[in-house]
Amino acid sequence: MNGTTTTAMFRAAILDPAKRAHYRLAWLSTVDHKRIAVLYLLTALFFFVVAGVEALFMRLQLALPNNHFLHPDTFNQLFTMHGTTMIFLVVMPVVFGFVNYVLPLQIGARDMAFPRLNAFGFWLVPLGGILLHFSVLAGGAPAVGWFAYAPLSETPYSSSLGVDYWAIAIFVLGIGSISLAINIIATVISGRAPGMTMRRLPLFTWINFVNAFIIIFVLPVLNAGLAMLLIDRLLEGHFFLPARGGSAVLWQHIFWAFGHPEVYILALPAFGMVSEMIPVFSRKPIFGFQFVAASSMAIAVLSLGVWGHHMFTVGMGRPLDLFFAIASMLIAIPTGVKVLNWTATMLGGRIRLQVPMLFCIAFLIQFLCAGITGISHAVVPLDWQTKNSYYLVAHFHFVAVGAIVFAVLAATQYWFPKMSGRFLSERLGRWTFWLMVIGFNMTFIIQHFLGLLGMPRRVFTYPDLPHFTWMNMLSTIGVFFMAAAALILVWNLVASFFGGKLAGDNPWNAWTLEWATPSPPPHENFDALPPIRSRRPLWDIANPDRPDPIVGENSSAIILPDKNKTGILTFILSEAGFFATLLLAYLYFYAHPQPGPTPRELDVPRTLIFSVCLFVSSFTFWRSEIAMSKRQRGSMLGWLALTVVLGGVFLVGQGTEYWKLFKTGVDVSTNLFATTFFTLTGFHGLHVLLGLIALLIFLWLAWRGDFASGRESAFESAGYYWHFVDVVWVFVLLTVYILPLLR
Amino acid sequence: MTTYQFFITTWEWNPTPLLLCALVLMGYFLAFGLRGRPLYLAVALIVFLVALMSPLSALADGYLFSAHMVQHILLVLIIPALFLLSLPPSFFLPRPIKTLAHPFIGWIAGVGAMWLWHAPTLCNAATTLKAVSVIQTISLLLMGSVFWWQVLAPRDSERLSPPAGIVYLFTACTACSVLGIILTFAPVSICPAYQQPVDRLGILKVIRGPWGLTSERDQQIGGLLMWVPMCLIYLTAILAQLARWQSDSTANPEKSHA
Repeated sequence: MNGTTTTAMFRAAILDPAKRAHYRLAWLSTVDHKRIAVLYLLTALFFFVVAGVEALFMRLQLALPNNHFLHPDTFNQLFTMHGTTMIFLVVMPVVFGFVNYVLPLQIGARDMAFPRLNAFGFWLVPLGGILLHFSVLAGGAPAVGWFAYAPLSETPYSSSLGVDYWAIAIFVLGIGSISLAINIIATVISGRAPGMTMRRLPLFTWINFVNAFIIIFVLPVLNAGLAMLLIDRLLEGHFFLPARGGSAVLWQHIFWAFGHPEVYILALPAFGMVSEMIPVFSRKPIFGFQFVAASSMAIAVLSLGVWGHHMFTVGMGRPLDLFFAIASMLIAIPTGVKVLNWTATMLGGRIRLQVPMLFCIAFLIQFLCAGITGISHAVVPLDWQTKNSYYLVAHFHFVAVGAIVFAVLAATQYWFPKMSGRFLSERLGRWTFWLMVIGFNMTFIIQHFLGLLGMPRRVFTYPDLPHFTWMNMLSTIGVFFMAAAALILVWNLVASFFGGKLAGDNPWNAWTLEWATPSPPPHENFDALPPIRSRRPLWDIANPDRPDPIVGENSSAIILPDKNKTGILTFILSEAGFFATLLLAYLYFYAHPQPGPTPRELDVPRTLIFSVCLFVSSFTFWRSEIAMSKRQRGSMLGWLALTVVLGGVFLVGQGTEYWKLFKTGVDVSTNLFATTFFTLTGFHGLHVLLGLIALLIFLWLAWRGDFASGRESAFESAGYYWHFVDVVWVFVLLTVYILPLLR
Repeated sequence: MTTYQFFITTWEWNPTPLLLCALVLMGYFLAFGLRGRPLYLAVALIVFLVALMSPLSALADGYLFSAHMVQHILLVLIIPALFLLSLPPSFFLPRPIKTLAHPFIGWIAGVGAMWLWHAPTLCNAATTLKAVSVIQTISLLLMGSVFWWQVLAPRDSERLSPPAGIVYLFTACTACSVLGIILTFAPVSICPAYQQPVDRLGILKVIRGPWGLTSERDQQIGGLLMWVPMCLIYLTAILAQLARWQSDSTANPEKSHA
């Protein structure tokens, strides 16, 4: 009842012309997680259409043998843009949209932990998208594949600006993803409602919480790689140029160290969605909650160490192949556990075959196929035969579309009523479902066989070999079914938003907290929260005579960790990944010395003196913190100013070292030692500089005197970051300056 | 010497480990009787003897870096873990040792055991000098015990809470994986003693020939062992932490900050 009134008011707010001007601005300046979520989803939908059209053009080109509908270079640009867009501008934002909308509601929070950071993270998506597509105007889109293998992605082989725009766009999008991951972790750790213990988290929230950790570990690895690629391209570095002693294979390691976990970054949220919907539409609690929760964590940990299976065809040697093959096969265990859990949940349930459930069932079947062909890629000799064929294209589209997109479509149908207050049309939904399933399987099942027949991937056309033509034609026809499905989906979204059946608070009779509030939820999310004693609070309310068993103990006074500290620690973890990658790259090239300057040119004693300044600044900051806790303003200001001065002295010391090297003609393009040295110390110096700026802001605030109380946690968080920058320097100092002395 | 002969004849019936095992066994039963879990102790002792007296030990002794790595993993991760699991809840640490039971020290001990003993100088010394090798073995067992105490202490109250335990294990896993990655891709020998082994047993020809283990490949396998299978040990422990977390419905309130 309450729900419909609010819905009506909400609708009135949208349609009232007098309020519309304000309303438009409100969407641009919003920090409300629900609106940001909708922005994410709409951006994803827009790019889904763009990348879908790109795919359509590619399939048209491939429909007939020896076709010249598209220029080869255009084809390369299309498949690069299609892959990049689908992964970074469609699936990531769509997943982030659902997480943003549903996660705070599921844990009874008012908003994300850092609403402004949340808005920042979102607006980086359109920025990244614009940068990526601006390349089209600036001399041509990148034509190097979404993996941008070196040395093809290096200036001598891709001289237009396409790859630069590509790398900067992905870098920006990576920062956005990391900021959201930090936000998710801080929200789940520090923003839960009373009674919502970690053990009572719904699976969607839990899985996305685990997923956020993968994001903060691996996206910095990619960003480090992109920074190196950009240094190669813009500053004439040599990281990935074999002709100058660089290593093209290193790029592959860095890229797949990100790229494989990325598959799980996309897939785990899909698992989370399905884990919410299958129980609701089977009218049973999930079978083996613990197994679903634990297997997600196992997948997350395993995913970090199996990237080598993307590189069997590179020639890594038998030991590496063997270990990566075994580790990759192991991932089948936790994923298999999940599939069993979902099927067992359905077993004996009163299954409601509405559109979300239809998509979930399709997801299960398609994902199983994707998993089986996935395991076949862990078998090294088989992988050698199929890696560069359409068999692989078919496999990863089964993962990306058959599993992830189907789960997202199910989630759209499932959560749209919560977001808009109205159902999506069930009839149009069924049309989308059947067209999608038929079109998808028509397009991609046949590609397995095309690959096994020997059709290579990444080619713009093919000769008229037996079976090639009809198989490709069939594949292309399938795409039109999917395009029709997408059109109907868009129509369904628009029509249902304005004229769909009213949904009410809990249209599916679901059990998690997002359904305990009106649809759409008011700005502050909840007026009052129901008691939370189990994983299904709404079931407990609806069935007071047979509630779920209480999970864990029921202590109402939970002290949640401070969100600032949680956030900054998470950020530090991600920065650690970034510097670890740079350090490992430094060590790699240090072990393969090139002619030219070596670490022996560095002035070790002088650097040690300046390093002492930096280390002492950690101590002075700590003194400043103590003074602050004792309310001694003068002492605090003094110590803080000293910290800033010491940090500044360190930077000056670094600057003079750079100056001396420049004067002797050593710069980032001289040789690999110089490239890695300037990259590593330069990024560290940049972080010191940012830390200094943060400290100066604090100094200024404290000077003005509005730093009285309640800001300790912010101050301490800045301190964590400052100490971290010092710790990184310990490692840099040991690796760059001390290590050469030991030999 | 053929492979078969090698695996038959290189069991080294060294009295010291055997004596040590007997002493531990005796001490264990005198102290705890049957209150602990002696099965775990038995497995720990068997693994200990395998690590120090079997052909594995012969290979680790100057022939194969990868065999040394297996030994290393058994000594740091497997044996101390099994030993701690065998202890009854009534086991108390003596006061002076109790100061070691701090998560920070535990983490440093666990990760340090990996990094420290793979510094080229130390690794080489442990391979060539018997005395250093003994020190290494003892220190690995001790550091492993200090590391595992945080998650496998006999009493629940002395362990980290499950979420903290997961963080503890995962970060340790990452730190060791980084070393594994460095060992795998290092173009130079981390432990030069294994590059030109002194062929005491006349097995080198078999190792380089039929087994196909060149010194580069050997070091790569060593690094990979540290990188992949060792992570699986940590992962198993992480899953055990999750299981413990999900199952303790009767946990005391002051511990439940999660």
